[in-house]
Amino acid sequence: MKITDWNIFFVPVAALVAPAYATDYLSVSQAQTALFPAATAFVDQSLTLDEDKRDRIKAMSGLRQRWKEQKIWRAESKGQLQGWFAVDDVIGKHEFITYAVAIANDGHVLGIEILSYREAHGEQIRQAQWRQHFVGKTVQNPFKLDEDVPNISGATLSCRNVLDGVKRLLVIHQLFLANG
Amino acid sequence: MFFLKKCPANNRVDSSPTSSTNQVALFDLCQHLVVLAILGVSLSASAEENLFGYVRGAETLPKGSVEAYQWITQRADKGQGVYRALDFTTELEYGVTDRFQLSGELTAMSLETAGLLIDGYLPADKKFDFRPKSIEIGFKYNFLSPAKDDIGLSAITSLEYGRLDPHSGQKKTEYEVESSLQLQKYLMEGQLVWVNNLGLRAAYEKRYVIDNLPTDFDWPTDPEMEISVKLGSGLSYRFAPGWFLGGEVLRESEYETEVGLERWSLFAGPTLHWADQHWWSTLTYFKQLQGGGERYAGQSDTDLHLIEKTQYEVRFKLGYDF
Repeated sequence: MKITDWNIFFVPVAALVAPAYATDYLSVSQAQTALFPAATAFVDQSLTLDEDKRDRIKAMSGLRQRWKEQKIWRAESKGQLQGWFAVDDVIGKHEFITYAVAIANDGHVLGIEILSYREAHGEQIRQAQWRQHFVGKTVQNPFKLDEDVPNISGATLSCRNVLDGVKRLLVIHQLFLANG
Repeated sequence: MFFLKKCPANNRVDSSPTSSTNQVALFDLCQHLVVLAILGVSLSASAEENLFGYVRGAETLPKGSVEAYQWITQRADKGQGVYRALDFTTELEYGVTDRFQLSGELTAMSLETAGLLIDGYLPADKKFDFRPKSIEIGFKYNFLSPAKDDIGLSAITSLEYGRLDPHSGQKKTEYEVESSLQLQKYLMEGQLVWVNNLGLRAAYEKRYVIDNLPTDFDWPTDPEMEISVKLGSGLSYRFAPGWFLGGEVLRESEYETEVGLERWSLFAGPTLHWADQHWWSTLTYFKQLQGGGERYAGQSDTDLHLIEKTQYEVRFKLGYDF
């Protein structure tokens, strides 16, 4: 069979689709401004997590700390602590999802932002309505999908991993940052 | 039930032309894959599902979503003579609800077989380029989500009407119903995916009279029923964003009323999967490791089932998630 004979089989797919491209929605500095609009400085206080620390995170959260370095900034306004700003990557269906979490010093979530999301389904994950469900959460919450935060159809793995990621960051805050 | 008779010696060929023909077949397939790769790259874009070529996961499309697939399967090498079949399948899936999806599938095939007659199965040398083979509709329901529940579970039922025998390329009417269960487990936050399938297929088949059959060649045209059981498993690891490498295995056992277990085969092989935001592709090399039941007269490798199966299959899927 000649190649041209059956390539016509691919025409329907090729004709129906329009090119789509991966998108980064926010830079780190844009997310910092969005989550801490009153902050005047962000001081890098990224944590290096050795095996022992990662084990403690897993023991407390039940979740694996994938990265040895956790990117965290101290948000300040005129020298006063406003809270903590963390950037993290979790697994989406195929690509990593990059998101940021703002944590108050008492350990509750002030807000989250999605910096990068590249999956076919689940664009709603970026919408304020969905992200709002995280506000006020602490490590005391169960962090169950469809209980704490609603699932988004077609993006269940992404939702679960972002939810788990936020819980893990709250645990990191409690273990290593809670005392300022 | 078909009884095997000795294949006439002058219809057999030695291994050297087989080998060279298979090289040509592989070259052709490589050409096809290059075209597909060029097609995918030139349209740029992005990705989704089907981590495996043969076993299927438990997830369904979200409500209102559409996914389009094109896949090609090459079935080649029966150990003697020349045998190469290409199946071309176009499939569309639609998410009716978040848990229920419909699919429609059209399959065409090309075939080249020469130098091998198998009594009751391969009655003549045959070569054709592209003929419609079958049409299928499918229904998939998701009971448990692999990302939300401890383990994912779904069921698929499909109905197929076929007009060509996939092995010989001869005219045949076939009605088939297949039901299967899919179990799926996400491990390592989804970096490792484990899928298991259990399927049951029942088929009604009716063949037609062929002119100029070899003397004493058995070619029953009475309708027959076949039942087969499929057991499959696959494991896939995401080694880089958008890239999965894994392996899958499929055992298929076919039963007939008169003889019980008539034949079985065990295929296994590696699977490479790539996905972007909307586009995805999967390439699987599937080698028959073991097989049993009927064998054709003069079959050299008696550890394989080579009447209805081949020594290897290669499957390439290209999908677009709308």
